[in-house]
Amino acid sequence: MNNFSVLFQKEWRENVRNFKILWIPLVFLLFGITEPLTNYYLPQILNAVGNMPEGTVFPFPEFTPEQIVMATVSQYQFIGMLVITLGFAGIISRERKNGNATFLYVRPISYASYVYSKFSMMCILVIGSIILGLLANLYYTNVLFGSVDIGAFIGFLGTYIVWLLFVVSVVLFSSAAFSTAIASVVSLALVLFFQFIDALLGAYWTISPWKIPMYAGYVLSGSVDKTPFTWSLVITLLLIVLLIFGAVYFAKRNISKTKI
Amino acid sequence: MKTLLHMQGLTKQYGKEKAVDSLTFSLLKNTSTALIGPNGAGKTTTLSMLAGLLKQTSGTIVFDGEVTEDIRKVIGFLPQYPKFYSWLTALEFTEMAAKLSGVDPKIAKQEAVKTLEFVGLADVKNKKTGTFSGGMKQRLGLAQAIVHKPALLLLDEPVSALDPIGRREIMNLLKELQETTTILYSTHILNDAEEMTDQLVFLRKGKLVEQGSMQQVREKYANPMYKIYFISTEEAAKFVEISPWPARQENSIAFIHLEEEKPVMNEVLRVLADSHLSLLKVERATASLEEIFLQVVNKGE
Repeated sequence: MNNFSVLFQKEWRENVRNFKILWIPLVFLLFGITEPLTNYYLPQILNAVGNMPEGTVFPFPEFTPEQIVMATVSQYQFIGMLVITLGFAGIISRERKNGNATFLYVRPISYASYVYSKFSMMCILVIGSIILGLLANLYYTNVLFGSVDIGAFIGFLGTYIVWLLFVVSVVLFSSAAFSTAIASVVSLALVLFFQFIDALLGAYWTISPWKIPMYAGYVLSGSVDKTPFTWSLVITLLLIVLLIFGAVYFAKRNISKTKI
Repeated sequence: MKTLLHMQGLTKQYGKEKAVDSLTFSLLKNTSTALIGPNGAGKTTTLSMLAGLLKQTSGTIVFDGEVTEDIRKVIGFLPQYPKFYSWLTALEFTEMAAKLSGVDPKIAKQEAVKTLEFVGLADVKNKKTGTFSGGMKQRLGLAQAIVHKPALLLLDEPVSALDPIGRREIMNLLKELQETTTILYSTHILNDAEEMTDQLVFLRKGKLVEQGSMQQVREKYANPMYKIYFISTEEAAKFVEISPWPARQENSIAFIHLEEEKPVMNEVLRVLADSHLSLLKVERATASLEEIFLQVVNKGE
């Protein structure tokens, strides 16, 4: 691939030197660990600081290990997705806006390589961080709540990664097509707002990219309905390919919006 | 001499406004051309079209005898306000520029070091570009534009933002490059173009209004005149009254414009000697570069 390695090296250096490679994994690690810990220690914490009258007894629900993992995922689905969409909304548009991109666009680079270098870096950061966070989560869940079936967990992780690829493609596409501000709004809408709509009205359909995280949960608890699940995966993968092609197309079309 | 680049009827239209209007001119190999015009004349737009950053509305660009779609491979471009990735060092940036422009990756670093030495950034090559001053940024901008030894170098206002020392240094670098490279640069200061430019192209509102070598332009717009300095304003006024040729006066100086080399200096001196006015100095002068610039770009207003 023409120039990919040079462009990727640039992305890598950027994310190392602006410490994104440190703080994004830390965010996901933190959420991954706090979920099992707070759920497990909640009674003790309440006893210690809750100022309860003596003899009060709370019936705490007994969580299954799968429920703890899914509670973490729901944290990722909100705060994690906010971090990803807002943290990367300017990944292409900002380079155009401040004029950095001029140096790239006057050289014989392939726009596909340019977009792939961004896509690869985002994937490494986002998927890497979430895997790290979920593994930490799995460890504490195992210690505190009991073991999760490893086969089911791998299936769940694979499914969830498809969702993350979708999110990354949406953000990349918006950033290639729009200015940073509009890209933030568009990717927030496509990731968070549509998910909300899907949760509200989603009873009427079963095939949708926004149902993938839910299906990932079903995979984990071993109760997934194969047909809508497979179709959702196929549709999502197709959308990912389309979004990336769209990103390449718009990256090229928007050259003239580069500040010179 | 061989033509490296020829543009024919190059036009860029934004809505009804024509930023560049049917521009036609050629660049000869290893010569330098200055695009001169006031702000908003279409200089940056022209350079952007040549660099492939903008698509022309109509017209063709012929490079080395072929209509080229992608001339990005053979050009180096320096924007007016170069912006760098602040987290890269000068060497890393120049090396990346070299590789992206197709320099063999094995020698890219070596070439980058050589280029940085050439532009005088050898001492700071391992510093982050975010810490660079305006002059250093301009040099680094030049380095990234020449590291791959392009056949055509496009520079947008390369010296306008620099102090006189930096301006001189960059001009000297360009003079050295001119031996092996064709250079097209824009400026709104005619003095910058004086030393090293083979061809001047004047733009006004997107149109070419004058073209030629510095000498040709100077001759055409020189507007030769006698400047006669008197001891006082009254003396100058008296002279204007008695002068056999049309004359005008500015404070204590009187001007007589030559028409077809007439009158000759001797006649003027004779009249002055007979007048018994208190004279300080008589000289033959031509329009300054600034005056020429104003004349050319205001032509036909």
